[in-house]
Amino acid sequence: MNTQTSAEGETTILGACPHDCPDTCSMLVKVKDGKVRAVQGNPSHPFTQGRLCAKTNHYQERVYHAERLLYPMRRTGAKGSGQFERITWDEALNEIAARWRETIAEAGPRAILPYSYLGTQGLVNGLTVGDPFFNKLGATVSERTFCDSGASTAYIMTVGPTPGMDPESFQHSKLIILWACNMLSTNAHMWPFVEKAQRNGAKLIVIDPVRTRGAQQADQHIRIKPGTDTALALAMMNVLVNEDLIDHDYVAQYTTGFEELKAHVQPYTPEFAAEVTGVDAEVIRTLAREYASAQPAAIRIGVGIERSAGGGQLVRAVTSLPALVGAWRKPGGGILQLPLWAFPVNWDGLHRADFIPEGTPVVNQWHLGRALTHDLGLETPIRSLCVYNSNPLVVAPDQTRLIEGLSREDLFTVVSEHFMTDTARYADILLPATTQVEQADLMFSWGHFYLTLNQQAVPPIGEAVTNSELFRRLARAMDFEDPFFYRDDEEIMQASMLWDHPAMQGITMEGLRATGYARLNMPSADTYAPHAQGGFPTPSGKVELKASMAAGGNFVLPVFRQGYNGFQDGGPVDALPTFHVRHESAAKDPALAARFPLSMMSPKSHAFINSNYGNMRRQVAHQGEQYVLINPVDASARGIQQDAIVTVQNGRGTFKALARVTDDAMAGVVVTPLGYWVDRSIAGATPAALNPTAFADLGRAPTFSDNLVEVTLD
Amino acid sequence: MTHVVTDNCEQCRYTECVTVCPVACFRGDGERLFIDPDLCVDCGACVPMCPVHAIVDSFDLEDDQQIWIGVNERRAKELPTVRDRSAPLPTAPDRRAALGY
Repeated sequence: MNTQTSAEGETTILGACPHDCPDTCSMLVKVKDGKVRAVQGNPSHPFTQGRLCAKTNHYQERVYHAERLLYPMRRTGAKGSGQFERITWDEALNEIAARWRETIAEAGPRAILPYSYLGTQGLVNGLTVGDPFFNKLGATVSERTFCDSGASTAYIMTVGPTPGMDPESFQHSKLIILWACNMLSTNAHMWPFVEKAQRNGAKLIVIDPVRTRGAQQADQHIRIKPGTDTALALAMMNVLVNEDLIDHDYVAQYTTGFEELKAHVQPYTPEFAAEVTGVDAEVIRTLAREYASAQPAAIRIGVGIERSAGGGQLVRAVTSLPALVGAWRKPGGGILQLPLWAFPVNWDGLHRADFIPEGTPVVNQWHLGRALTHDLGLETPIRSLCVYNSNPLVVAPDQTRLIEGLSREDLFTVVSEHFMTDTARYADILLPATTQVEQADLMFSWGHFYLTLNQQAVPPIGEAVTNSELFRRLARAMDFEDPFFYRDDEEIMQASMLWDHPAMQGITMEGLRATGYARLNMPSADTYAPHAQGGFPTPSGKVELKASMAAGGNFVLPVFRQGYNGFQDGGPVDALPTFHVRHESAAKDPALAARFPLSMMSPKSHAFINSNYGNMRRQVAHQGEQYVLINPVDASARGIQQDAIVTVQNGRGTFKALARVTDDAMAGVVVTPLGYWVDRSIAGATPAALNPTAFADLGRAPTFSDNLVEVTLD
Repeated sequence: MTHVVTDNCEQCRYTECVTVCPVACFRGDGERLFIDPDLCVDCGACVPMCPVHAIVDSFDLEDDQQIWIGVNERRAKELPTVRDRSAPLPTAPDRRAALGY
């Protein structure tokens, strides 16, 4: 049943977690007397397994938080002051429409820039909810390479958009490498499948500069200097080819470019890699040998893997490894990157890129600060910003410059939000949005093979609206006539999937309402070996060790840029996996490295989802104050003791944090979690103030792990 | 950041909790269980499993229950991992009734 009513009058609604996370949990929502009383992970869902997480266990606390924005607001004080007055929806929409019409008349629609990502990742209210509207308006296109874009470009160049391994197949693996994956904090529901394999004798290897929780549980933790992993992957290949650990039959049948790759990896000896990565040459040799011999062997990459100058080529190299050793032959072998590719989503129908006027320019969202401060040389400068499903002031780099841009009096800013976030403080018009329990939505996953239906549990609170309703209202305000813009949520849900696709066989909305979720029509995890006999969705049908797509130049997948393919990056791409030195390194910039000798990483916070929950007492209590992990050697050299307040800085900015002296951080590397709110920080800034705007080599991925800083005692 | 086992576990030693922990963080002796705070990821899976509601998010501890944070941390370091379910203590039914569950 989709609802059950208990004797005490409590009803259980089948919902789904909305957040930007690979686990997309099936969420039981307990409602009594019209209010959500509790949420619980669905015990019958094979991946959720009856639990949520530190972020969402008490989701109702978010829903009913005293500081939730429930009414439209208009700014009364200075930008950033957070001073607003309540207005009606009509007033808000009239003002937005008037300002946009004025801007369009004076400068054209390109002066308007949308900015959004995955505050929710629902098919109705998530990534694409505003795309048809802004595409039709003719606004500048927002290129959203927040996450996995570099890895996706690299992965697709190598094996094509294959779902790859089923995460549940990892229980059958004999050797598992978690590469740049902080699984127990960011993909926790996959952990039991990995742990089961480990209990059955599989060797679990974690490759990560940081001693994460997962690294502590691993059989082997390979600590590597940030942004150097490509050398490790290529040295593994060097050992595999030179010690003839190659599965020649698989390579001959199902790959292209092997002979060239073999010659290409000769310079990447374990000794070369040891010098660059800090990983011992014998450890590298042993890793390659064990990887080849323990079959089926599985690799799971995390989203942090791409975050350095050479991060794209790193994923090219890692994605090539399984074919070399024939890992794809059995269930439990291969690589897992982003099973989103398994879901037959009607992306074209969701983006409506066909609405985009020819010649519409693109701004990458990592460049928001530069775009707003006229530092991008845009033909049409940005005069209006519309933010939804995102909190750029916390997650975007170059925070100081972004504050400057958002502070512009002449920048008409509309923000849709749950709370008065750091970004929301700079809005001219603030619009209240619903939480997941106040809306219906359909959820894909980028970490498993289940489609999940979120059924609405309670009506919208106050005057909050769903994102879908926001864009219906904006379309009306701007006099859009196409009935497409006025579909209700049920119609949008129906139109969001390609229901006739084989992967959707047996799945219906009726069935989803009854159970809450459905596994895509794919083989079971026990038998799923999608590439036992090749069949890769690449131009050649094989694993392209030498990528034919490289000739087309660097690109960002259309799904990350409102469906648009205009003005792609087009930069040159090495056809074979190649090592690129970090942007910020002694090798490339000795003066910089002398001034700022420490590498900074800014990974996810355990109790937050990006900046979500950064304002909530429970999660803030669990996270503690903004901290920076610093190795005892580096701390001692700077006179820094445990819990001291320190200043972390580089040429882009500065923030303060509490020092945690620990060898969870490698010597030479400091680690400070992202997601904390600026308005709660010690000195009005957070790690994003130091993060660079430079792109990685593929997919315009960010380079947040390619960042030199210095830490000093306050 | 951790969950803790309070003294409701004493005289019961129910072990439903260990069957759902993804990180095997439960430690125990013959009397009761504790949670290793260094391993607990606050997934919350164990909370609804305990028949006597012995497990609490440390954030939700009443003032007079705060002591369990330190006790769990100390005892977890001294005791072996409990992975498998076993019969509760003979005193469990009475204790459960006395606690009102």
